[in-house]
Amino acid sequence: MINLIRTEWLKMRKYKAFWWIIGITALSYPGINYIFYMVYDNLTNQPTQASKLAKMAIGNPFTFPDVWHTVAYFSSWFVFIPSVVVIMFITNEYTFKTHRQNIIDGWSRRQFITSKLIDVLIISLLITLIYSAVSLVAGIANQERLIRDTWGKSYYLGLFALQTFAQLSIAFLIGFLIRKAFLALGVFLFYYVIFEPIIVGLLKVYGRDAGRYMPLEISDRMIPVPAFLGKLNTPEKYQQALNDIRPHVVFTIILTAIIWFICYWVNSRKDLK
Amino acid sequence: MESVLSINNLSKSYGVVKALKGISFDVPKGSVFGILGPNGSGKTTLLGIVMDVLKANGGNYRWFGQPGSPQIRRKIGSLLETPNFYSYMSAIDNLKITQAISGRGTKNDIDEVLKKVNLYDRRKSRFKTFSLGMKQRLAIAAALLGDPGVLVLDEPTNGLDPVGIAEIRNLIVELRHKGYTVIMASHLLDEVEKVCTHAAILKTGDLITTGHVDEILMDEDMVELSSADINALSAVLKKMGKEVIIDEKTNTVQIIYPKGIAKMDEINRYCFDNGIVLTQLVLRKKRLEARFFELTNN
Repeated sequence: MINLIRTEWLKMRKYKAFWWIIGITALSYPGINYIFYMVYDNLTNQPTQASKLAKMAIGNPFTFPDVWHTVAYFSSWFVFIPSVVVIMFITNEYTFKTHRQNIIDGWSRRQFITSKLIDVLIISLLITLIYSAVSLVAGIANQERLIRDTWGKSYYLGLFALQTFAQLSIAFLIGFLIRKAFLALGVFLFYYVIFEPIIVGLLKVYGRDAGRYMPLEISDRMIPVPAFLGKLNTPEKYQQALNDIRPHVVFTIILTAIIWFICYWVNSRKDLK
Repeated sequence: MESVLSINNLSKSYGVVKALKGISFDVPKGSVFGILGPNGSGKTTLLGIVMDVLKANGGNYRWFGQPGSPQIRRKIGSLLETPNFYSYMSAIDNLKITQAISGRGTKNDIDEVLKKVNLYDRRKSRFKTFSLGMKQRLAIAAALLGDPGVLVLDEPTNGLDPVGIAEIRNLIVELRHKGYTVIMASHLLDEVEKVCTHAAILKTGDLITTGHVDEILMDEDMVELSSADINALSAVLKKMGKEVIIDEKTNTVQIIYPKGIAKMDEINRYCFDNGIVLTQLVLRKKRLEARFFELTNN
């Protein structure tokens, strides 16, 4: 296993696009959260009675412990950025035919897929570290009293990591099956940005919310809208969204396991051309 | 003789196309084994199966008496079809990947193989900046890394200039003397003839023949003779009841016997008794190219 990690890290660290994507993610996560913080600040820091009422009603979502939830929610919109590098890592192997060479040189087919699983895990870990750093910095910057519960909702760390890994695994599967970098990127982005949101939206209205079982939506529902936005819904609906977290953790784990099983199974049976 | 690779009734289809039709042969240890055949004969498919990038539909193969496995592949240096490397990485980093996966060689060995294929000065250049010949040499360096003892080379001289081709030929001869077993598929029959000890000839998925190169080439005895007057020589030989081929370019006469029948001393005496003094009397091997065309009906 250490050999696989060492080899994949050598491939990764020499790949400039990887560092560009990590850099863009490291900018976009604080960026999107800062934008929403500014919106919140403008809304609640006006010298008007309405502004004070708003602040009382929704609290500060960027203080501990809510900041873990808030930052996870906004950051999760940007999973398509690291998905680019996940797709590139697998399609590169086809482009360079190194998916064959790695086997010829002495990996088993199972080891090859495990090495790609490690890629997705490493990228998910780095993305989670960026999310953690943004949450900590935002939480500390907004800390009003020392007695606040810093780690109260830090379980969102785990939810964010699982959601990132699950959605990047879907990106990986698309790259693995389509093999062509730009086609795979196009298909994933079309699915991520257009197709699934439309299907989920339509099924909310016409299909008893069956869209919750769509591949990306399954893990999206592990991180519901933060409390201050949730209050725009009825309390019952918001509570239902919170109650859905646990089953969706299970669904996400099952779906992700199926995705990797497909990758291992297909790769063990096909000719490597 | 001990076999490095035993292939037993191997078959492979791509849809309706049968790429291999029950091929069987053994590669003896220490041999330079040429796999020959026209385009589409199944050479690359065969090598792809024994290196586990393609799945056979039937039959099996054994390396060193054992079924193929990742552990066994790590002991084999291979170049299949094209040089496959990460284009954004340097030559040295690409060989580090080969080293990490195969477990063959050390950092010093990487430098050594790069020197051996004349790429040491470009070791830090990215693979995508290499010419086709340099890419091919890097692939050969990867195959040689850590002295694997067995090499599988598919068209190893692809993209090389004449100097490069001669270098690879000399390298293979050198490796043979070191005790390597080299399995190589090639179109270049002249190269194969120069370096191979054994060969298998394939045609549209069938094994046409296999064995020691001398056995394959010497399917019949071709005796080449010359004298001061080749017309007189030709007339005398015809009296022997032999069909005579006159080669005016080389001013020689050729007669063909079934394999192992030609007796050179008797031919010499017969000619002398009939008033012909021979200036040349040689038992020739057929050129591999001619034999190849015969066997493959091209």
